[in-house]
Amino acid sequence: MAAPVVEAEARAANRPPVRERKNGRFSVHFAHYKWLYLLLLPGVVYFAVFRYGPMYGVSIAFKDYVPFLGVNGSPWVGVQNFTDFFANPDFPRLLGNTLILAFLNLGIAFPLTIVLALLLNEVRLSVLKRTVQTLVYIPHFLSWTIVASLSFLLFALDIGPLFQFLNNVMGTNIDFLSDPAWFRPLIVLQDIWKNTGWGTIIFLAALATVDQDQYEAAIIDGAGRFRRVWHITLPAIRSTIIVMLILAIGQMLNTGFEQIYLMTNALNREVADVFDTYVYFVGITQGAYSYSTAVGLFKSLVGIVLIFGTNWLAKRFNQSGLF
Amino acid sequence: MIRRKLSLAAAVVTAAALSLTACSGGDAPAADLTSVSIMAPFLEAQPPGADGAVQKKLEEITGKQVKINWAPNASYEDKTNITLAGSDIPQVMVIQGKSPGFVKNAQAGAFWDLTGKLDKYPNLKTTYPDIQQNASVNGKVYGIFRGRAPMRTAVMFRQDWLDKLGLQPPKTVEDLYKVAKAFTEQDPDGNGKNDTYGITIPKWGALGSNSPYDVIEEWFGAGNRWTERDGKLVPSFETDEFLQADRFIKKMVDEKLINPDFATFDSTKWNEPFFNGKGGIIVDVDSRVSVLINLFKQADPNNFQNKVGFVGNLEGPDGKLHAHPTDGYSGFLAVPKASVRTEAELDKVLEFLNTLNGKDAGILLNNGIEGVNFTVVDGKAAPVKPETDASKAVTTDIKSYAQLGMNVAGNQFYPVKQPTDYEQQVFDKRTDVMAADLKSAVYNPAAPYVSATYVAKGAQLDNIVADARIKYLAGQIDEQGLKDAIKLWDTSGGDKVKEEINKLWQDNK
Repeated sequence: MAAPVVEAEARAANRPPVRERKNGRFSVHFAHYKWLYLLLLPGVVYFAVFRYGPMYGVSIAFKDYVPFLGVNGSPWVGVQNFTDFFANPDFPRLLGNTLILAFLNLGIAFPLTIVLALLLNEVRLSVLKRTVQTLVYIPHFLSWTIVASLSFLLFALDIGPLFQFLNNVMGTNIDFLSDPAWFRPLIVLQDIWKNTGWGTIIFLAALATVDQDQYEAAIIDGAGRFRRVWHITLPAIRSTIIVMLILAIGQMLNTGFEQIYLMTNALNREVADVFDTYVYFVGITQGAYSYSTAVGLFKSLVGIVLIFGTNWLAKRFNQSGLF
Repeated sequence: MIRRKLSLAAAVVTAAALSLTACSGGDAPAADLTSVSIMAPFLEAQPPGADGAVQKKLEEITGKQVKINWAPNASYEDKTNITLAGSDIPQVMVIQGKSPGFVKNAQAGAFWDLTGKLDKYPNLKTTYPDIQQNASVNGKVYGIFRGRAPMRTAVMFRQDWLDKLGLQPPKTVEDLYKVAKAFTEQDPDGNGKNDTYGITIPKWGALGSNSPYDVIEEWFGAGNRWTERDGKLVPSFETDEFLQADRFIKKMVDEKLINPDFATFDSTKWNEPFFNGKGGIIVDVDSRVSVLINLFKQADPNNFQNKVGFVGNLEGPDGKLHAHPTDGYSGFLAVPKASVRTEAELDKVLEFLNTLNGKDAGILLNNGIEGVNFTVVDGKAAPVKPETDASKAVTTDIKSYAQLGMNVAGNQFYPVKQPTDYEQQVFDKRTDVMAADLKSAVYNPAAPYVSATYVAKGAQLDNIVADARIKYLAGQIDEQGLKDAIKLWDTSGGDKVKEEINKLWQDNK
């Protein structure tokens, strides 16, 4: 990680020195803008009290936490919880399952959002466009419990309509709900159905800002629809895509506890267990709060590394990063 | 200017609101014994109100102001831990079982050790010392257990199907197989279609959770979670009988005598195939008999008799009856040390619990208020008809208040009178069958013992075997795969669990 830091510092040094102010000038600045700072205060207090304050609880990852003894009273155990976790035979399986699901979601669901946004953008009939938009937003507002129940109905063994249809088409007899090979496709499909429409909102907003003159110029030059999308639309929303990608990668390991928990059963647990369900299972149902906090903390650290890594990569390729 | 003032006001108000939320809570009131605070779970949609008729009567009987903090059942364990970590701790807490969280708290000194202290209170002295021992943590009694009927296992079947095919109710596991096969293959509903099967099993995998698998394994003689072999305790799944039983279940799965989606079938729909005439057999607790009868009664109030038949436990292939009991308790009432500081205070709290466990309070908590929602007929509680607002309120409230009942010396209330003669007959037969089976009950010899390794990772360990069992039955792995999983249980920490359990068992013998 040394290289990116040096790189970032070098880049920072080349920028005009915006933040370097002397104390005296800062107090003048502060006096001038005091009402704005006061306005900022509730936000700062909110983050301090509700976001940063509770973080001291993370210390139980390094303790043997007993609720009765409290966070402060429980004995320290160092990195015992972490070494236990890494030595656990479950660890490689959890990491693998989490990463595979994460990359499937990122590799399939994320591009599909852009594709759907582009498709919607190309619809010229305003009534149709609005109707479709509304329809694809709706699934986002259904809870995972409902999505899972729908899946159970549609794929129910022998009687589910999709079970019958797909097995007839493929000439097979697959129980989609319990076959480990079908767990991931099912999860990704649910995710696409539920979230793709909602995800288009930001891209549609970005698409609305694309300069219409460029299209007209391109049409005069004889560019077809695909050319126009490729050479005008996509480059215009490139920075939005990058920002959304960085955010998506930061959230990548949050594979969605409810969805996976609801779709898990004894026959597919092998491929279904991810960090989130493991934390619930070990932490809440077995009362191993310290251990599961350690697992959660590990997951957060990986998330931070991913965010910084992607941001750095984006800057490397001369794109504007997130920060 | 106006805008500026507004924004300032908004900022000040927000800041004030934030500082207010920061100082809530406060010191717990000193244990004064005009009032007793209790934390208990509620299983209804709403907890009872603080001014209901039951609440008033309860305070009248106990002579104390009773403050009950109802917490939803689904998140009760979390709430227990949060409460113990906080400063406002009640004097009595309903604890739902020996969860790892509870054991850790108890061993850290969160609760009074009541071992040997209960016998001087007439209503707290148990007539079931075995169950009290089962509810203990390695022999230490941390609470007064909430007694439950120890024998509840039953096999329910469609009586009309059985009659149509001219079969007898099953007595042995071999009979169960024969009935299931006949229900599957001989068109018991007479519609000319091959659309029925024998046994319905829902998604229910965990080891030792009284699932149909656990029950059938016990019938085969595998024991109840743990069993004694050659002077040592071993987990049931390390016995030959366990494998025999699973082979038996797998044979039924393979021959389609069991619903093929047993690994995913939603347990809340368990009654549906039975009621709709798809699957004819259910292995579960005997109270489901009444639930099933009620379904048929609602559909056709004039013709619901003789739809549901039942028997108790079945004989194993060795010709012996190994009946499957429950643990006989459902959690306990524990007294936290943080709110009850001295032995003298503890004595007062136990006296209160003694009254709470007496006949008057027992009837109130379980039956309700005589003359309001029930009357006593032939020593049974008959619901008041027609229902009034007052009787409905009491009937609803006692569903939650019953959570406070302990009944450590048998039930302290009236049995409920059944609405029809037929249902009364069924109810009486259930009581008789369960009483008879109780004599052949095979208990878990390791029930009182809590192994440190098991507390740390028992559930993960058990999942290895539980999942393998389902995979074996579904045909995803073969018998060798099941055996390998059991070996993996040993090597992943199970060996240590065995060692610890055996040591505790030897020490307490």
